[in-house]
Amino acid sequence: MSKQVLENLKTKFGDRVDIHEHSPKRAYVAVSNDDWMTVLRHMYEVEGGRLTTATGSDRSTGVELLYHFAFDREGTVVNIRTTLDKPFPKIEALTQYYPAADFIEREIFDFLGVEFVGHPDPRKILSSHDRPADFHPMRRDE
Amino acid sequence: MSTTIPIGPFHPVLEEPEYITLQVEGETVVSADIELGRIHRGMELLAQEKTFDQDVFLVERICGICSASHSWAATLAMEDIVGITVPDRARYLRTIVHELERLHSHMLWVGLAGHIIGYWTIFMWGWKYREPVLDALEAITGNRNNYAWYCPGGVRRDVPDEVWPPVLKSMDEFAEKTSMLINVILNDPVILGRLKGVGILTKEDAIAYGVLGPTARGSGVDIDVRRDEPYGAYDEVDWDVIVQPDGDCLAVGVVRLLEMIEATKIIKQCIKKLPKGEIRNEVREIPRGEGIGRIEAPRGECFHFIRSNGTNMPERHKMRAPTFLNIPSYRPRVKGETISDATLIFAVIDPCYSCTERIAAIDPGGSKIANGRDLMKLSHQKTEWLRKNL
Repeated sequence: MSKQVLENLKTKFGDRVDIHEHSPKRAYVAVSNDDWMTVLRHMYEVEGGRLTTATGSDRSTGVELLYHFAFDREGTVVNIRTTLDKPFPKIEALTQYYPAADFIEREIFDFLGVEFVGHPDPRKILSSHDRPADFHPMRRDE
Repeated sequence: MSTTIPIGPFHPVLEEPEYITLQVEGETVVSADIELGRIHRGMELLAQEKTFDQDVFLVERICGICSASHSWAATLAMEDIVGITVPDRARYLRTIVHELERLHSHMLWVGLAGHIIGYWTIFMWGWKYREPVLDALEAITGNRNNYAWYCPGGVRRDVPDEVWPPVLKSMDEFAEKTSMLINVILNDPVILGRLKGVGILTKEDAIAYGVLGPTARGSGVDIDVRRDEPYGAYDEVDWDVIVQPDGDCLAVGVVRLLEMIEATKIIKQCIKKLPKGEIRNEVREIPRGEGIGRIEAPRGECFHFIRSNGTNMPERHKMRAPTFLNIPSYRPRVKGETISDATLIFAVIDPCYSCTERIAAIDPGGSKIANGRDLMKLSHQKTEWLRKNL
């Protein structure tokens, strides 16, 4: 496991990160909305994780974001999770610091209506051109 | 003064639906904007309406070329939730089909690359040599594409021993012909002139854009899930990860060409070492939990995330094909190049838009979501109609 990565997270963020080791190769880390960007930037800029993709899902608690960081040298995936409040989920965009997040965050905006503050190109990406602006197909609150 | 040139809604050569707006000054490309969404089919939403077993068949249909990749990644994600291993024979059988898929995918790209630069001989040769690979796949799995091969816990069918000698012979012939093709391509001044130094993606850009597979390895980024997080039988056979430092179109092409030789090595070793025994560990149910499966598809890492709530259907099934992260690398690649090179640069990642666009189905009015049940109902209505009227 990326033991070192998890140790560093614990040292740097203390109780503010909730780490769950699913298996030797997979770990899930829950953080608050306030720490979100600091933790993501730490994963990319300090630990050298590769953002492989992000999963957005509409759950009973709100819209959940799960960013998957791959560590290729160790062959592990560390997932960072946070939950945003409905009906207007909003969070800072990682794309400002890491271009790989561009399409990934646009896709989550498109299908779940999450507003990524500071995204340089916040357009819809995959859904139909005439999709109404307030309709997001993966949302379950209709 | 800059001029706008629209390319699309289909790639001029690949017949892939994409829409690119090029800003050019004279012959030189200043910037490119890419629009997607023209082949969007709603796979992620559909997956939530299907049982785990049906899901494997669904993801197999994301792409005709990567059908083994997606179904393997999805079954790995399910096995990650359940926490089971698969029998040794199944691991080897899975690896063989996956590498055959890599062979035919790479050879298809080599043919198309020849087509794009106007070198028809390469196109004809490439596609001719690809055909025996599809025959081998048909002999092993029963299908040329969409193999219905992977299932949670193992593979669906066993393969009789008499299938392997012809496949081994075909791999030897394939390796011989591919070596010849590699010699032709790497020694042809016209091809080198057309590819060398064109569409450079630096290592820094490759890391920043998070590109994957041959696109990353062609820019000197040494990543390959098969070696980094070994699955299947990759850690039990001898093979090399091909990395080229230059980052131009030629480097990506060379990575794909040499990977084909490595793939034939892997297939031959797997067939020779193929263990006897069971092909499937039974998976009775998928418990509540989250699982990740990732494998190295021909175009790069294919990533599946599944969340199960303990029912027989996934609560969330995220699928990410490699092309989704490779597309944005067009931007640094095409800047400063000429229009005539742009089509080649757009094809160098071997784009596969079917893989990339798969999340939700809405009708043009945006007022109704057609889910799996609706589609099933429509299908039943059509069958009824056919029975009465034909």
